[in-house]
Amino acid sequence: MFLSLAAPALAALALIAFGTLAGVPAVRKLIAVYEAKHELKQGSTGWLRSIGGWSIIAFWLMTTWFLATIIGDWGATGDLEGAIGRSWLRLRVLLEIAIAIMGED
Amino acid sequence: MAAPVIQSELQCATCAGQCVYDPAVQALKCASCGNVTSLETADDDAAAEEFPFDPLASAPEAQVDFDSIVHRCETCGGSVTFVAQSLSTRCSYCDGPVVVETNDRGYEPMALIPFRVPEQDAQTLAQAWVRKRIAAPSDLAGVVAKARVAGLYVPFWTFDSDELIQYWASYRVRRNKRTETRQTSGVLRMRVDDMLVPASHHVTPLIRDGILHDFYPERLRPYRAGYLSGFAAEQHHQTLSEGLERKGNEKALLIRNRIKGHVNKSGVHNIRYHTDTSGIHYRRILLPVWILHYEYNGTAKKVVVCGIEGRAYGERPYSALKLAGYAAALTTLAVGLGLAWGAAGLI
Repeated sequence: MFLSLAAPALAALALIAFGTLAGVPAVRKLIAVYEAKHELKQGSTGWLRSIGGWSIIAFWLMTTWFLATIIGDWGATGDLEGAIGRSWLRLRVLLEIAIAIMGED
Repeated sequence: MAAPVIQSELQCATCAGQCVYDPAVQALKCASCGNVTSLETADDDAAAEEFPFDPLASAPEAQVDFDSIVHRCETCGGSVTFVAQSLSTRCSYCDGPVVVETNDRGYEPMALIPFRVPEQDAQTLAQAWVRKRIAAPSDLAGVVAKARVAGLYVPFWTFDSDELIQYWASYRVRRNKRTETRQTSGVLRMRVDDMLVPASHHVTPLIRDGILHDFYPERLRPYRAGYLSGFAAEQHHQTLSEGLERKGNEKALLIRNRIKGHVNKSGVHNIRYHTDTSGIHYRRILLPVWILHYEYNGTAKKVVVCGIEGRAYGERPYSALKLAGYAAALTTLAVGLGLAWGAAGLI
């Protein structure tokens, strides 16, 4: 039982490490957007430029969450190939959301 | 004709000492005896007047020689003038060394808004802004506390115009589980009122939008040497056509945003438009700012405080460790939710 969970646990730890590394620019953008929303004149050109590009934050979190769902499924069933197969529908929904987010950014 | 440096105006009527403009009392104050002299005049209200832009005017605007000491920065190329006495041998914009030049030629400002925020308050406001930064290095507040602010009048344009905009755009709709792109077009009117455009490359539109949220033309006063006394000033060097070009760049982004709102659909893209601009009016003005210079890890940065309302905004460094900490926390949260979602067998 423990051995079968070791691989998904390691994968989850690796995902946290890579997610953290990839998330540094996204967090910086998150802070810039937060500061712009609270400190720049609403609707001004500086405000529009600063909040533009916020979709990078959503893409980072969505990608991390999506990969974690596969690991979670793998850990629960012990079947990695099956977990990947079952993730396709989830991926399609996420891509629809990503397109909508890109349109709003 | 340049506003003359009337020495008698800057000399105390009581003790003949040097007077400087004091934002706390909003008048000239003698540095020796503390005597206060008001600069208000009966025609102060006329300072808010706007001037029509005539696109058919053939004669260029007349330049004037400013009767003041010009300091040109050897680092950033900025040039600031000091009325009466020289206040600093460092550039107000970048804190670089300056050289004194004999003359400064440019365009006379039509009006200015005098300083209302005293230096000490500006210093406190700049430091408060720095302390509120998320993920800033822990020693940043200490570094900034050692920096000093420099008071400066920065050249700005104000522009009014009426825009009649015809546009074409695309937007996305969901239909039968598919995303379709549709075309739309329309006409809208937009009134640009008192759009502030920096006439100096030292103040970016971002800093302007951080410190100048509201503009009240009734606060404008006629351009007089007395208001500049005790402060540095950058004079207007841009031609009107250069100012209009800068305004055009700013306006294009606002028009695109207005079109998105007018279409009022999601996924608006591929925006094209044509605008007929009329009724252009402008002012050449000077606005007061306090600039705080500091250096962090060898990089020069500045925090700018509005000399009218005290709003602060500027440049800041990030702590890589704190950014990584926040990223790790959010990643762990996303991974935790994802693991639970996947383990539960949800779609």
